[in-house]
Amino acid sequence: MEFFLQQCVNALQWGSFYALIALGYTLVYGVLRLINFAHGDVFMVGAYLAFFISTGLLAPEGMFGFSRELALILTIPLTMILTSLVGVTLERVAYRPLMRKGAHRLYVVITALMCGLILENGNLALLGASRRTLPELMDKAVYHIGGITVTNLKLFVVLAAILVFFILHFIVTRTRMGMAMRAVSWDKFALPLMGIPLDRVVVFTFVLGSSVAGLGGLLFAMSYPVLDPYMGATTGWKAFIAAVVGGIGDIRGAFVGGFLLAIVEVMVAAFLPSTYRDLYAFSILLLILWHRPTGIFGKPLTAKI
Amino acid sequence: MIRVSNLKAAYGKIEALHGISFHVEKGEIVTLIGANGAGKSTTLKALMRLVPPEAPTVTGGDITFDGASILGMPAHRIVSDIRMTLAPEGRRIFGNLTVMENLQLASWSRKGESTDKEIQHVFELFPRLAERARQRSDTLSGGEQQMLAVGRALMTKCSVLLLDEPSMGLAPLIMYDMFRTLKRLNAEGLTIIVVEQNAHLALKVADRGYVLDTGEIVAEGPAEELLHRPEIKAAYLGG
Repeated sequence: MEFFLQQCVNALQWGSFYALIALGYTLVYGVLRLINFAHGDVFMVGAYLAFFISTGLLAPEGMFGFSRELALILTIPLTMILTSLVGVTLERVAYRPLMRKGAHRLYVVITALMCGLILENGNLALLGASRRTLPELMDKAVYHIGGITVTNLKLFVVLAAILVFFILHFIVTRTRMGMAMRAVSWDKFALPLMGIPLDRVVVFTFVLGSSVAGLGGLLFAMSYPVLDPYMGATTGWKAFIAAVVGGIGDIRGAFVGGFLLAIVEVMVAAFLPSTYRDLYAFSILLLILWHRPTGIFGKPLTAKI
Repeated sequence: MIRVSNLKAAYGKIEALHGISFHVEKGEIVTLIGANGAGKSTTLKALMRLVPPEAPTVTGGDITFDGASILGMPAHRIVSDIRMTLAPEGRRIFGNLTVMENLQLASWSRKGESTDKEIQHVFELFPRLAERARQRSDTLSGGEQQMLAVGRALMTKCSVLLLDEPSMGLAPLIMYDMFRTLKRLNAEGLTIIVVEQNAHLALKVADRGYVLDTGEIVAEGPAEELLHRPEIKAAYLGG
């Protein structure tokens, strides 16, 4: 029983990473009906940005020389802001011109895939293949509750994911901008007729999605400090699948899908040979999709992608 | 107030308007009538400066509002600055939002101002919308959706309202109601350009009319006179 609960704690942490990335996939899909396949790599860029920002802030001989607490407090918003700039740049440079020309969504999706490859390999070319290690930003504390051990970092990750979920949910359902986002997802054409600049709504969506991915990148790097350029491809793809299983386009779906994927993965690894973790995990997800092709919260649409 | 001169517009390489000219003065109701594919909707979308692929690209001519060209303006600024908007063909209301949210969204360009007065005005024009304010708008009937489309357009505080086939799919009684409401809005000072397949009804309420045929204006004049021209009677009014 203790072993099981301990695994649940681990699953919650991984679920948080998946959820934070899946939220970005689902927001952009929900608003533009575009699968932004570069999003996993935006998460990777977020982790690297967190590395550079925190290293810079902590450098003892540097002009800052901040304490770790202060460095963490500054790294969070700076990473989110810079990562959102990456997402917005992709939209501005790659996706918007295509959509302007009336290109079919399929071409935009393929462009997104390409952008992801550019980010990965651009990173490799720029920084080389040597792996970077994020400095420690938090004094480690371990809590024992019953027979379960929880670190303060894990707690921090899970609470951050939950907080992000509620903030995004509030923005989408309660604010004017959220209302506009929902309106775009229904009918892009009619939005300007309300006097609303469509581009601003789209950019805002990318800002939300990418900044949350940036936060995910930072938290991931804090938990698993070794960074490599392909971390976005592996973790990002899984998060995308989580978003689809949850029902892409729905914020709750991204959240539930992320945690579901993590629980399945962790439990498979805990009780079955861990070499087969992904095989079993994704077979189970496939069964869920088989049963509900639109995902847990998804509603059927006439045209996807 | 609005002057369209020698306007040419195309979807891709296919020219849909071959140089049309017309004008609309403040306080008028002007109708564009014509058969399917004549270029009526295209004209309205070009006026609104909407973008491809759903709207055409203007390839020649000019559209001016009070003497200044509006060709370089994006659609949302036509709404917020020129105070002109369109209730599009097929209504295009936001079905995943409530009736109230649809109305609130349309007051976007007047951020911070209270919208209570305008909402009250819309509810007074269309009491059915008040009853259904909290309902998701895709649960409304066709007539109610058209009311919402017009109400939503009014929430932008427009001084010029373009309507694309407001009678489409409406039961006759509801259709007459809609046109009575448009007449009332016009009496309150709203300038209206209405595109209609139901040419008889449109000419009855309009001050002036233009007849479009395959991207060209083939007839124009006071609505009353157009109603009685034999060739128009034969072609558009069912004899």
